[in-house]
Parts: sequence; structure tokens; C-alpha cells
Amino acid sequence: MPCTCCIIPNDVLTRLSQDKKLSAPLRKQMVDTVQISHELRELRTQAARLTSVAAARSAGLVTLAAAPSITVYDCKHTQTLPGTPIPKPKTSSDGSVKRTFNQTTKVAKFYQQVFNRNSIDDHGMTMMSSVHFGEKYNNAMWNGSQMIYGDGDGSIFVDFTRGNDVIGHELTHGVTQHSLQLAYSGDAGGLNESISDCFGSMFRQWEAKQDAKKADWLIGKDIMGPAAKKQGFTCLRDMADPAAKHCLAPQPTKYSQITPGMDPHYSSGPPNLAFYTACATLGGYSWAKIGQVWYHSLTGFGPTPNMTMKAFAARTRQGAHTLYPGDAAVAAAVNAGWTKVGL
Amino acid sequence: MDRLKIERVGGVAGFGGPHLKSRGEVAVSDLSDADQKTVESLFADPAKVPAAHPGQADAFSYRITRGAKTIEVPEHAVPSTIKNSVKDVLE
Repeated sequence: MPCTCCIIPNDVLTRLSQDKKLSAPLRKQMVDTVQISHELRELRTQAARLTSVAAARSAGLVTLAAAPSITVYDCKHTQTLPGTPIPKPKTSSDGSVKRTFNQTTKVAKFYQQVFNRNSIDDHGMTMMSSVHFGEKYNNAMWNGSQMIYGDGDGSIFVDFTRGNDVIGHELTHGVTQHSLQLAYSGDAGGLNESISDCFGSMFRQWEAKQDAKKADWLIGKDIMGPAAKKQGFTCLRDMADPAAKHCLAPQPTKYSQITPGMDPHYSSGPPNLAFYTACATLGGYSWAKIGQVWYHSLTGFGPTPNMTMKAFAARTRQGAHTLYPGDAAVAAAVNAGWTKVGL
Repeated sequence: MDRLKIERVGGVAGFGGPHLKSRGEVAVSDLSDADQKTVESLFADPAKVPAAHPGQADAFSYRITRGAKTIEVPEHAVPSTIKNSVKDVLE
């Protein structure tokens, strides 16, 4: 069963409804299914609109839970979602399940302790993950409702749950969806991806108690497979040196190098470098002040789906003054970050 | 013979960039009748290409080329036979 609300295409149902070899009651059921499926799709579109409208008014929403439930499912190498629920993921003998539960729990704690945020939606929503998605699936993703992790092919990539920054990255897409609601193309797409890299990296550094100088600022270091390592690749992306040869996905380092239609995983290079530069310039822990400025810029103003990088940069510059009026070094560091990438 | 060229792009690793590629080919005749109809309708009316799920990120999409025309389809709307035709390689 595919992860859409359309198991059997409408044109197949319509054709079957007209097939005189089938009984009349069965043909009517096909017609009914087409109509119901249409209404379900309309419902889903409306639900997405409701999320958008409700998020803009979220100050009045009721908290669902003091702390989120963390659930893990096993897709058993199918692409059926969410998969089989795991009753006790914390003590599972399956390493992927246990890792996902533990790291997702820690990401929840990171957002709570560092940013006073209660789960992805700031109202305690359940944090749901599915592991063993597909066969040798070289990806992890956020599908709008949950996290999904593949096992990797064992050659280019290993199990994607092995990267705590990957887990932080995916969960942060949910945070973005429930706050700034950045689109996934153009400047906004690059910002969307960068924010996930920034918070994924901050989470990894927080877990290891590393300051900006000690951190390696690499994204995906722990999911590199033997074939990738053999060719000298150490990571997906390097926030400190986006164009570096050791990156599987080398990125532009200047805003002017971003081209129309560029994949957001590449256009995220300049804002990644801006964040790293700001953190390295100020020193200390990335989440202490620069991370707070970024979080404020992400969550403090409501949705702006088509935000430009220039506008986000301006917001963080202003945020540095607003949040730390007595600390000129913070504003100077943020300014240095964006200046480095030409914004 | 009518063949489809497939390229899988996107994902958290950024497939489709300089090093990570995922490509395949499928003969249209190897697709089931239902899948052939799905592909036909996608090429016939690009407006019918399903949108990504709202809020979705790091998903794959598939560039499907038939003759001179290429469409890009989110993974959840791609028939399994087409999805399974690609092989991930490092270049």
C-alpha cells in the first residue's frame, strides 16, 4: 500500500465501474469509492489549510500534552506507512528502533530545554517515526506528519538512524512546518533546508557538549557508507566549508551563486555558512545566543512561506539587537555571518 | 520501443548533484496496464501531476523522460515499477 490516499487510481476505478463483466453492485461500489476518495482528498487539502490558519493563531491553542509521546513503527522494508507499531521501542533489540526512540526523545528534550518548545508544534504533539522504510532506501524524510528513515544500501549510506544530526534535521522540518511554514523552492526552500541543518547540527553539538570551535559542523558524517568513505567523502554537507571536496553534496558559498530551480539541499549552502560564521565569530555554544536568534527568527513572527534569504538575514540582524541589546558582539557576529555570504 | 528514462532526485542527501546519481530505464511495455495509464495521464496533462504532501521535506521526486518531454513527479505518485528501476551510484 503506497503512502498516498489513492491506493487504486481513479481511472482504474472508473474503468472497472463500466466493466459489464462485473456485477451491478460491484460496479456501484467502484463509483462510490471514486466519490469518497475525491471527498477524502478535498478533506486533506482543507486540513492543510486549517493547519496554516490555526498556526497563525496558535497563541490560543490548548496544549495536548506536557511532553510529547515518542512512537516508533517498523515498515519492514515496505513503503507502507506508518508500519507496525513497536510496543516498547526504548528497549527494542532492533538497533534502528532503539536509536530512533532515544534520539527523538533527546531532540524533544533539546527543544524543551534550549528553546522552551514543547514538541514539533509547541503543543506536545506526538513525535512519530517509521524505520526500515523501503529496501536499501537511501533517504530520510519528513512527510508532513512524521519522520521516515531508510536503512541505506550499506554501500553509499548506512542506516539513516545512525545520524543524530539527521534525526534532528528531519524533526526540525516539522518545527518549520508549524512555524515559519517555508515553502520548498527558491530562497524559502534553501532557508527551509538550512534551518534543518542548523538545528540538526546544534542538537548534535548539544548532545556532545561541544562548543562552536570543537564541533565539526559536518552534516551526515555518521551515515557515510564504505563506498562513500573510500572515495574520500566524509559528510553530506559541511556548514563551515560548503564547497569542500569531502562533501557528497558540495554547495555554493555565496548567495549570488544560487541559481533558479536549485535543489534546496544545495541552495542551503550560503545560509548554512552564515550560521556557522556567526557561531564561530561569537564563540561558545552555538545554541546559547546565535541559535536563540535563529529560533526567534523562525518562530517569532508567524508564517512567511516565500521568505527571501535577504529578509531572513534582516530578521536575524534585528533579532540579535532585540534579544541581546546589551551585547554588541552578538549583532556583530550575525552581521559577519551574512556579510560572508554576500547578504 | 517506447522507453522511459528515469532520474530520482532530491532526498536529504541531494541526489541529482555532482556525485550522487540515481538513474534507470523502463520499457513502457513492461508496465502494467494501470501503470501505463497512470504514465499516460501524467504526460498528457502536467496539471494532473500530484503535488507534494503539504509540509513535506527531503522526499525524492522522479524525473521521467519520454521522448523529448520530461515531467517531475513526487515519489508518492510514482508507480513501483518505475521507482524500482533506478540504481544509486557515486560519480
